[in-house]
Amino acid sequence: MSGLLSSGSLLRRNPRLLQVPPYLSFLCIAIGVAWLLLLPLDNYSRRTYISENALLPGQVHTYFAGSDQNVFRGYKREVDELVEKSNAEVNDKLEEFFKASGLKVARQKYEYRSAGETYSGENVYAILHAPRGDAEEAIVLLGAWTNVEGELNKSGVALVLTLARYFKRWSLWSKDIIFLITADSRAGPQAWVDAYHDTHQKGIQSLPVKSGALQGAVVIDYPFDHRFESIHIVYDGINGQLPNLDLLNTVVAIASGQMGIGASLQKMWQHKDSYKDRLTTMLRGMMNQGLGHASGPHSSFIPYHVDAITLQPFGEGWEDEMAMGRVIESTFRSLNNLLEHLHQSFFFYLLMQSNRFVSIGTYLPSAMLVAINFTIMAIFLWVKSGAPSTTNSKVASTDKKSGPLSIIQEGDAKALIPKQILEETEREFFLPLAVVVGSHFLGVLPLYLFNHTPEIMLPSVFFIFAIVNNIFPFLISTALIRSFNPSHQQYQLIKAFSLLFLGMFLSSLATLNFSLAFLVGLLAAPLTYVQSFPNRPITTTLFVILLSLLTPTTVLLASSFYWNLGVGEVLKEAAFGWDVWGMNTQVVVWCVWWPAWVVGMIQLAGKPRNEKPKPEKAAVKS
Amino acid sequence: MHIILSLLLLSSACARASDYHEQLNLRPLHPSLLLASFNFQSNTSLASFEQQNFRYFPRSLGQILQHANTRELHLRFSLGRWDAESWGARPWGGAREGGTGVELWAWVEAGSDEEAEGRWLTLTNALSGLFCASLNFIDSTRTTRPVMSFEPAGDHKNATLTDLHLLHGTLPREVVCTENLTPFLKLLPCKGKAGISSLLDGHKLFDASWQSMSIDVKPSCEEGSEDCQLQITQTIDMVLDIQRSKRPRDNPIPRPVADHDLKCDTSKPYHSHDTCFPLDASGQEEDWSLAHIFGHSLKGTCPLADDGVDPVCINVPHARHVYASEGAHEHKDESGYRRCFSLAPDGEFEMVLPQQEISEKAPLEQPLLYAERSFIGYGQESGGVQAILTNPSGTESVEFVYMETLPWFMKLYLHTLKAKINGLDEDIIKEMYYRPALDRKRGTQLEVRIIIPANSTVVLTYDFEKAILRYTEYPPDANRGFDVAPAIITIGDVSIRTTSLLLPLPTPDFSMPYNVIILTSTVMALSFGFIFNLLVRRFVGIDEAEKWDVRAVRLKVLAAAKTFASRFGKREKVEKKE
Repeated sequence: MSGLLSSGSLLRRNPRLLQVPPYLSFLCIAIGVAWLLLLPLDNYSRRTYISENALLPGQVHTYFAGSDQNVFRGYKREVDELVEKSNAEVNDKLEEFFKASGLKVARQKYEYRSAGETYSGENVYAILHAPRGDAEEAIVLLGAWTNVEGELNKSGVALVLTLARYFKRWSLWSKDIIFLITADSRAGPQAWVDAYHDTHQKGIQSLPVKSGALQGAVVIDYPFDHRFESIHIVYDGINGQLPNLDLLNTVVAIASGQMGIGASLQKMWQHKDSYKDRLTTMLRGMMNQGLGHASGPHSSFIPYHVDAITLQPFGEGWEDEMAMGRVIESTFRSLNNLLEHLHQSFFFYLLMQSNRFVSIGTYLPSAMLVAINFTIMAIFLWVKSGAPSTTNSKVASTDKKSGPLSIIQEGDAKALIPKQILEETEREFFLPLAVVVGSHFLGVLPLYLFNHTPEIMLPSVFFIFAIVNNIFPFLISTALIRSFNPSHQQYQLIKAFSLLFLGMFLSSLATLNFSLAFLVGLLAAPLTYVQSFPNRPITTTLFVILLSLLTPTTVLLASSFYWNLGVGEVLKEAAFGWDVWGMNTQVVVWCVWWPAWVVGMIQLAGKPRNEKPKPEKAAVKS
Repeated sequence: MHIILSLLLLSSACARASDYHEQLNLRPLHPSLLLASFNFQSNTSLASFEQQNFRYFPRSLGQILQHANTRELHLRFSLGRWDAESWGARPWGGAREGGTGVELWAWVEAGSDEEAEGRWLTLTNALSGLFCASLNFIDSTRTTRPVMSFEPAGDHKNATLTDLHLLHGTLPREVVCTENLTPFLKLLPCKGKAGISSLLDGHKLFDASWQSMSIDVKPSCEEGSEDCQLQITQTIDMVLDIQRSKRPRDNPIPRPVADHDLKCDTSKPYHSHDTCFPLDASGQEEDWSLAHIFGHSLKGTCPLADDGVDPVCINVPHARHVYASEGAHEHKDESGYRRCFSLAPDGEFEMVLPQQEISEKAPLEQPLLYAERSFIGYGQESGGVQAILTNPSGTESVEFVYMETLPWFMKLYLHTLKAKINGLDEDIIKEMYYRPALDRKRGTQLEVRIIIPANSTVVLTYDFEKAILRYTEYPPDANRGFDVAPAIITIGDVSIRTTSLLLPLPTPDFSMPYNVIILTSTVMALSFGFIFNLLVRRFVGIDEAEKWDVRAVRLKVLAAAKTFASRFGKREKVEKKE
C-alpha cells in the first residue's frame, strides 16, 4: 500500500506527466467534435428497423377512400365556415360533429399565465370506445385548430373529423381512440395531457371524461388545401426527450413502403443522402433537442412517456388528403396491434435521415469527451494546487543537490527522493468553494428574472443584464482582491472546482439531453484554458473578448439574430417554456453554464497575491 | 325494472315443482344499438337435488356444488363496458353482471375459515374445468371476503347461515370468448338447439359492444315452509351494434359505401355529387330483423319451457311497427312501450322492424349513480386512483358501498384516502372496512360506505406505491401491465361496476434475456450436433461405403450364413477331435 502511495506521489509530481493534461483535455475536445462529424458516415450510423414485431406496419389494407372523400369535403366546407369564429363557437360546432358520429364528447378550458400574458382556450375531445374494450388503453389522434406557426389547420381538423366517423365503423379497435382538437398547438395540448394525468396547474380544468393509459399519439398538421408531395415528421419532445424510434419507423415504413409517400425530417425538404445533408439533418435535430422546446403539439405528450409525433404534409405533389388519412389509418392499425407499451427500440437516438440513425452508444462518447475535458483539467489543477509554489520549486531545481532527501521503501527496494516532491502544501479551499458555489447560486437570479418579467420589459431587462453581466465579474474580482487577496493556489482551486462542477453536470446531462450537454460543453470549452495572466495584458484582453463573445447573453443575442427573431420573442418563448411546458434548458444555462463563465471571467480579472517563499510554512506537510 | 318485477311475479306464481322458462327481452338503445337480454330460469326442489335427482338443473354443475358444499353461487363473464350516459340503467339493475373478465362469488358452507378456503379452491378448480376459464387462478391473492357489499340472495336456513362463508374472486385479465359460451349453453335444457337459445351464436355474441353472461344458483324457500327450491338463473345480456350486425358475415369489412348510397344532408348549400355532409340519422329508427341481428331466425320454442311465459318481448313504443311471422301472437303491455310474443311451437319465428321516422322513444331508466374510475399521476414508482361518483337525481340522496380489491403489488396508502364532495372536503364516509395486503399472500380489500346527497359529485382519491416484482412473477406473455379489478358499487339491490384499470409496473426488458437464451441455445445445439456427429459417425469414402440394395443384402445374409455354418462345422470338428 505504501508502495502504491509512494509511486503514486512520485507520478503526481512527475514534471513531464504534469504537462500532459492541458493537451489531453484539448485532445478530448477535438476528438469529441471529430466524433460527431464522423457519425453521418455509413460505418457509424445504422439503418432503422422495426424492433417491436407486434407493430406490423403496412401489413393491413387501408379502406379510407371512396365516398369518405365526399364526407371529408363536407367537413372541410364546415371547417372553412368556422374560420373567423371564436373558440367557443368552433367547439360548439365540433362537438356537434363528433356527437353525430356517435362519440362521447367533452371539453376542457385552460388558462396559462406567462411573461405577463394570458394564454387561454378550450380543448374539445371525443372518445371512441373500443367496441369490446375495457377502457384500459387509449391512443390519441390530435389536430390542433392552429398549428405551431399559427396557421389554421383546416384540412387537418377536417381529416380528424372524417377519420373519427370512419374509425367508428370498425369493430377491431382494442384500444380507445381519443380525437382531440386543441385550441392551439402550444398551450392546449399541454393543458390536456397534464389534466389527463391529473398533474395540471391552477387555471386548468380537470377532464370530465377519461380513458385508459395513453399508448401513443399522432398529430396531424395540415394547414393548406392543395395536394402534397411528402410528409414531414416532427419528433422532438420537451427537454430533448424523444419518442420511441419504433413509432417513427412505423410511420416512415407505412408512408414510404405502403403508400409511396416520402418522409423527411428536420425541415430538410430535399435530402440527397449526401454526407452534408445527413450532417445538416443531425445538427438541426441536435439544435431542436438542445433548445428543449416543444416543436409541435406532440411534444407535450413525451414527458409522460407517451410516444408521439406530428405529421406535416408538405410540397406540391399528387398525394391528396385521403392518402394522408390512409397513412394515419394504417398507423393506428399498427398502434392498435401493440400488446405492450412501446419499449423495444430506442429512446435515445440522432436521426440523419428518415431511415438512418445513430444510437446512444455510438454518439454519447462525443459529448462525454467534451465534458471529460473539464474534469481532467479540474483534477490537474487540484494536483497542481497542492504543489509548493512555483517560485519555490525553481529555487529548488537550481541547486538540486542541496535539497533534502527522504527515503522511500517499497518491499526491499529503497529510493532516495528529494523531499520537495513529497511535499504538499495545505489547500485553502474555503474561499474558492464559496466563490464557485456562490456563483452557482447567483444563477437563480437571472433564472428568476427572465422567467418572471412581463413581455414588454423583457428586451430592456435583457440588455441591462447583458451589460451588467460583462462588468459584474470584474467587480466581483476587484472585491475579491480587495478583501481577500487570493493566492495563486486559491485561483487554481476556484478554477478546479468550477471545472469539476461543469464536467460533472455536463456528463450527467449528456445521458439525458445529449445535444444540450454537447452545445454547452463546446461553448464553455475555452474556460478550460482561462487563468489569470497578470503580466500579459494582450493575452488577457484577447481572452476577455473571446469569453465576452461566448457568454450566454451574447450567444442568445447572436442566435436570435441568426434566426431573425427578436430577443424579446426568444425570451418570451423561453419563459413560456418554463411556465407551461416545464422546460429546463434555462436551468442549465443560468445555473451551470453562466456560473462557470462568471468564474472564468473572475479568473481573467484576477491578480494572485505575490507570494514570497515561506519555507517554514510550506514544510509543514508530513 | 318492471321486467324484473314481472319475472319475479312469474317465478313466484309458477309451480313449486321443477319448472323451466326462458325469455328474450329486446330493447333498442341509442344510437342504433340493441340490448338483447336472454333469461333462462329453472327450479328444482332442494330435496330432489340432494338425492341427485336433477331434472332441469345441470348435473355437471349440481355435482360440483354438492362436492364443494356451495349453497349459493354467482358466476359472471363480462366484456366491454356499459355506457350508462347513453344507455341508461343497467339490465337487471346490474345484479346480473360482473366486472370485466370473470367474477365469482359464492357462499360456501364450512366449519372453519380454512375449510371454507379448501372448498373454495375445489369449487374454483372444478368450475375452471367446466367453463374453460382460468378460474383456477383465483388464488388467495385474488380472493376476498367482502363484509358490506354482498348479501345472500337466496333463503338460507338460520342454522346454516352461521356456517356460510362468502368468498369473492375476480379475474380482470380473463378474456371471455366462445370457449366459455359453449359450456354455458350446454347447461341449458334445450342446449341452444331450440327456443331463444338457438339465437346465441359466438360470432354475434362476441362482436357485441358489451356483453355479460351470468349463472346464479340460490335456494329459495317459501316463508314458513320447509319446502325449498334450488333456483338456477342463467342470463346473457349483450348490446349489439345494429349496423355492424347487418354486415354480411363473408364481407365484414366496413368499406366506404358507394357514392349514391351515402346519406347526405342535402340542405347544405355546398352539397354536390362530390361533397357530402353526413346526415344525422338519430331521428330515424333503423330497420332490422332477428335474422339480421343474430344471423338466423328463432328456431321454434323450447319444448321443455313453460307455456305461461312469452319467450320474446321487445321494448318499443306501440307506435313502432313490428312484424312477426305467422303463428306468433302479440301481447301489448298497457304501459305502451312493451310487447311480447307467444310463439308457435314449431316453425321459425322472425321479427322485422322496418325503418321508421318516429319521435316517440321508450323511456330510459336513469341509473342511480354514475361511476368512473381512472389512474392519476405518472411514473414507475407511485400513482393514484380517482373515482368520480355522481348522483344524477335531483331529490334523492344515495347511500352505497364502494368496494375495491387491489392486488398486493399496489400498495395503498390509506391515509391518502380522501372523499371530496363537489370540490369540498366533507365527512361523507360513514363506515369503512379495510384489510391491508400481505405481500404475495393476499390483496388489499377496501369497503367504504358513502352517502351522496342529491345532485352532487363525490371524488374519491387515494395514492398507492408500486411494488417491484420478482422476475418470475411477471406473466409469461407480452407485458402490457397488470389489470386491476373493477370497483364494485352496491346500492341495495342495484350494483354498478367501474371499468378495470391497467397498472404498468417497472418491467425489466424480458426480450433481451430471451434473445440471449435463444441465441446461446442455438449455438449450443449447433456445436453439440457438430461434435456429436464427429464423434459418433465413421467417415469413409463413398466407394468404400456399404451399399444397401437387394444384392448387397443377399450377399450379406449369405456371408453371415456361411460364417455361421463354418463356425458350426468347426465346432463339430473340434468335438470330433476330442
